[in-house]
Amino acid sequence: MQPTQAPIQIPEVIQLIDLKYYLIISTALFVIGIIGVLTRRNAIIIFMSIELMLNSVNLLLIAFSSYRSDPTGQVFVFFIMAVAAAEVAVGLAIIVMIYRNTRSIDVGLLNKLKW
Amino acid sequence: MLPIILLSVFGIVLLFLGFLKTRAVLLPAALLFILIALGAGFLEWNKSYLYFGDMLLINNLAILFSTIVLISAFMVVALSGDFLEDEMAQPAEYYAILLFSIVGAMMMIGYENLIMLFVGVEILSVSMYILTGSDKRNLRSNEAALKYFLMGSFATGFMLFGMALLYGAVGSFTLTDIKSYILLSHGRPSLLLYMGELLVLIGMLFKVSAAPFHFWTPDVYEGAPTLFTAFMSTVVKTAGFAALLQLLSVSFSAIYGFWWVILAAITALTLLAGNLTAVYQNSFKRMMAYSSISHAGYLLIGLAALGQQSRSALVFYSLAYSLATISAFGILLLVAKQHTTDGRPDESYSAFNGLSRNNPLLAFVLAVSMLSLAGIPLTAGFWGKFMLFSAAVDRGMVWILILAVLMSAVGIYYYFRVVIAMYFREGQAGRIRVAPFYQFILIAATALTIILGIVPGLFQNIM
Amino acid sequence: MQTDLLAILIPLLPLIGFIINGMGFRHVPKGLVGILGTLGPLVSFACSLLLFTGFGGQTIKVPLFDWITVGHLNIPFAFQIDQLSLIMLLIVTGVGSLIHIYSIGYMKHDEGYGKFMAFLNLFLFFMLLLVMGSNYVIMFIGWEGVGLCSYLLIGFWNKNTSYNNAARKAFVMNRIGDLGFLLGIFMIMGAFGSVEYTEVFEQAAGFPIGDATVVAITMLLFVGAMGKSAQIPLYTWLPDAMAGPTPVSALIHAATMVTAGIYMVVRSNVLYTLSPVTLEIIGGIAIATALLAASIGLVQNDIKKVLAYSTVSQLGYMFLGLSVMGYTAGMFHVMTHAFFKALLFLGAGSVIHAVADEQDIRKMGGLRKYLPITYWTFLIATIAIAGIPPFAGFFSKDEILMHAYQHNKLLWVLGVIGSAMTSFYMFRLLFLTFFGRFRGSEHTREHLHESPATMTVPLVVLAVLSIIGGFFNVPEALGGEARLAEFLNPIFNLSRRVRPSAFGETLLTHSEEYMLMGISTAVAIVSAIAAYVMYVQRVSLPEADTVERPVVQKVLYNKYYVDELYETIIVKPVRGLGDTFYSFGEFIIDGIVTGTGWLVQQASGQLRRLQTGSIGFYVFAMVVSIAAILCLRFFVRF
Repeated sequence: MQPTQAPIQIPEVIQLIDLKYYLIISTALFVIGIIGVLTRRNAIIIFMSIELMLNSVNLLLIAFSSYRSDPTGQVFVFFIMAVAAAEVAVGLAIIVMIYRNTRSIDVGLLNKLKW
Repeated sequence: MLPIILLSVFGIVLLFLGFLKTRAVLLPAALLFILIALGAGFLEWNKSYLYFGDMLLINNLAILFSTIVLISAFMVVALSGDFLEDEMAQPAEYYAILLFSIVGAMMMIGYENLIMLFVGVEILSVSMYILTGSDKRNLRSNEAALKYFLMGSFATGFMLFGMALLYGAVGSFTLTDIKSYILLSHGRPSLLLYMGELLVLIGMLFKVSAAPFHFWTPDVYEGAPTLFTAFMSTVVKTAGFAALLQLLSVSFSAIYGFWWVILAAITALTLLAGNLTAVYQNSFKRMMAYSSISHAGYLLIGLAALGQQSRSALVFYSLAYSLATISAFGILLLVAKQHTTDGRPDESYSAFNGLSRNNPLLAFVLAVSMLSLAGIPLTAGFWGKFMLFSAAVDRGMVWILILAVLMSAVGIYYYFRVVIAMYFREGQAGRIRVAPFYQFILIAATALTIILGIVPGLFQNIM
Repeated sequence: MQTDLLAILIPLLPLIGFIINGMGFRHVPKGLVGILGTLGPLVSFACSLLLFTGFGGQTIKVPLFDWITVGHLNIPFAFQIDQLSLIMLLIVTGVGSLIHIYSIGYMKHDEGYGKFMAFLNLFLFFMLLLVMGSNYVIMFIGWEGVGLCSYLLIGFWNKNTSYNNAARKAFVMNRIGDLGFLLGIFMIMGAFGSVEYTEVFEQAAGFPIGDATVVAITMLLFVGAMGKSAQIPLYTWLPDAMAGPTPVSALIHAATMVTAGIYMVVRSNVLYTLSPVTLEIIGGIAIATALLAASIGLVQNDIKKVLAYSTVSQLGYMFLGLSVMGYTAGMFHVMTHAFFKALLFLGAGSVIHAVADEQDIRKMGGLRKYLPITYWTFLIATIAIAGIPPFAGFFSKDEILMHAYQHNKLLWVLGVIGSAMTSFYMFRLLFLTFFGRFRGSEHTREHLHESPATMTVPLVVLAVLSIIGGFFNVPEALGGEARLAEFLNPIFNLSRRVRPSAFGETLLTHSEEYMLMGISTAVAIVSAIAAYVMYVQRVSLPEADTVERPVVQKVLYNKYYVDELYETIIVKPVRGLGDTFYSFGEFIIDGIVTGTGWLVQQASGQLRRLQTGSIGFYVFAMVVSIAAILCLRFFVRF
């Protein structure tokens, strides 16, 4: 495994945009996700923000994968998508469960457990 | 590898067994399955194999950690008799989820590829989200599940971002590739690698509840049904530390100088936060949550002072900690059932008042487990701490050592509160009826704690 | 082979006793409990005697099994039988057996009799582990174990909350010391790569004098000794520990456990010899402890409290001996002190037994007639501790003072002052308890009785030992052969090698020695006479707690003008000094200790507030910490 750029042909279409822009946009998306988690109180929106973070990772992985012409990155993306789907199922179930008991999905109201 | 496949199949089998009219078969079946997996694991003893296209590595260390996980799971399942009595519960599903989560834990223990780590972590975590919220009508359980879920996925996001950055730097997810990349970079690896390592580390530290990422722990542990708290605080922790050990010792030992300061700082913080906050608690269960944070701190010493001794010290400590924790929660389950205040089991210290009078066995078991957690000699916990501390000595980390020793003194204070309540306080606890098998598990765990405390060498010969 | 068996049997027998009595203390018949509990220590004592007689001068190591391997460090579970451990074995099992026998009589009517015997046996087991282990880790385990037993036994009458508090205080203070000890062991591991005595000392002998590592190690170990052996500032637990049953005070808090610190220092004598700085500090702390505790002892009215402070003070003397490198003298005093202090406590127990659990000496008096055996044995012990020849205490204390004199004249002067106080408070105790007329209630007087044989026999045996104990080590100046010193000599071979100058022949001429002996004897006798004049001739009683001036004293003031003068010039200052020290000890030091606890509680309360229960805050804290970690790592150079 070479630490520097591997001597593999990278398709020209991809080369049109430099790798660092992918890095920047992914990071930006990731940070937007974090800010969403930090500022919102609605459990669903927090959840969506987390999904945004995961997707920014997907984008980053694909970018790296393409620039290296290495498929493992893309394989990982499929894993992330599958796992994220499982998480959605469980997460929504938990949120529904809470909605049934409290008629609200405001996380700010959930502070019975503390200290 | 065999246990992983077996447990996956067994989990599905258990789901089907749930269709049967008689629930009585579930518990023995689950126990049997875990035992088979335990036996199957040892088939690969002293051999070192790579599986699944070099994604999973099974060696002796992995088998030992898996054994601890399986023993903990066995004990937790054995203590779960209550499920079968509860009409509303879905025991088949809980057992199946437990088995699946063990698969996740074993993937975390033996991973050779970061993809495997991610999948393992997620299998384990998603199972835990479900189990935490399994008491559906209890608002505390709901709250715990949501907190765990939101924060857990949030932390997973960081871990994934870190993995992506590592991939960007190295071009591979394999641990050995990362290692050789670092070695070939002549001390100047790309910034992406450093960033990636820190983020993965943070994601994993969250899972083992190291400060300052520990805030979820007390709330989740308190809200979750006690049985699953026992499972979480042992299996998840053991698997998490095995994963961290793998990551740091295989891939990143070459840049030890980069991360040890951070890890040492986090260790100190974890020790302080866990031990100091535990002092103020009035609920035994919540105290145990903080205690689990503090034990994460002790285990982190083994990582921050990564060296020859770290492996055996971490394995030994995980075992000692798991045995003591599960027997403590086992007693809590029994005692809390006796006293209920407005329908909720009483989990405060006062529930233990005068326990020794009518239930000397239970009191003794709990006393031994508290002594072990506090690290008093002639219990397994003492040697666990001893080995971890001597690892710190080897690295010359005197400050961490002094802090850890001081904090273990603070620990004695809150662990002994239970012992004092049991032996020196008057209480109206009646005789608690304990099922023979339940009793056997408690006695076995206590005996093992004492045996390991008297002849720790016995265990080391196995290593 | 036979030695191996004996060495294993010695700690094993008390353990078996503990298991039998402890597991079935509700099922074992009462008569059998005492026999079972006492048999273990007795047979252990016989085994120790056999070992002692068969000992050929060579250190014997009895490996039992490989205990643990941590990296390159291998710790075996082994016993080491040498001169030092043999002496300790004899003291522990011998005095231990006597106290077990005594307990049969003393505790028989207690409902927790079986539990009590079991705990005593367990204590003995750990104490034997402590003195027999061949490495620091075994010593530490014994160390912790005796602490635990002491905790259990102080809180034995656990219905009483203040007793529980005393137990907890003892435990906490001991833990502080234990932490120091544990850190010391880890430092030894780091420095020498081993914890086996033989290997550590062999290696240490190659270090230069005053080596920083060795100084640190010895200081940490001494912190451990401070806790266990009740030195300033960790001494306040010992007087409080008197809440336990009296045999416990005799065995654990006078004869054996509290001397563990001295044993440890003597065991590590090479390290201490290498570190003169530590020795100086020990000397300072020791003499301060000896004087402070003795002066507090002057004003105590509780019979056991007086003895407790006296123990603290005597421990100070032992450390004083060690600090001036009179290791043998220190050990010698451990031995004689075990005899007479155990005797004093057991005598006090007999008194308390007779006067229906009263401990206030103001309500005693005149017991000489009712308790003749107790009186005579108590008298012997008092003479012994006061240092009047030819009883045991004279020889050992004098040897310590002699070493102190050689080292530093000031230490000697202070030591003699302390010994004057010792003599005074002990005779004061004796006179107030046994002389004059009985001051208790009429009801109690009718029930005054001598204790049963199980209690008086140990008293007599100990009294004999207190008389002849000193002859084991008669100095050459008095025509003796210093046999104990001769016997213990090989223990200090390495110390002698690293600092030959400090072990040179005594510089004192015989006439100087006689002079020192004469002075200390004279001082002791004068103090005893002073006590006699004050408490027997003039029957002055210590002030009651509530009454400003008791009637008796008021009368006396009016009668003698001289008395008032005497009172203002000597008694008042001394008493004031004692009171000051008392408040210093009890409040300031306790304040520091409890203050630490309070601080932890407060910190805990504040930290707890961070756990707000809101997800928003948790996530925020997490993000901030991640940002902090990244910033620190990438933007701050370190």
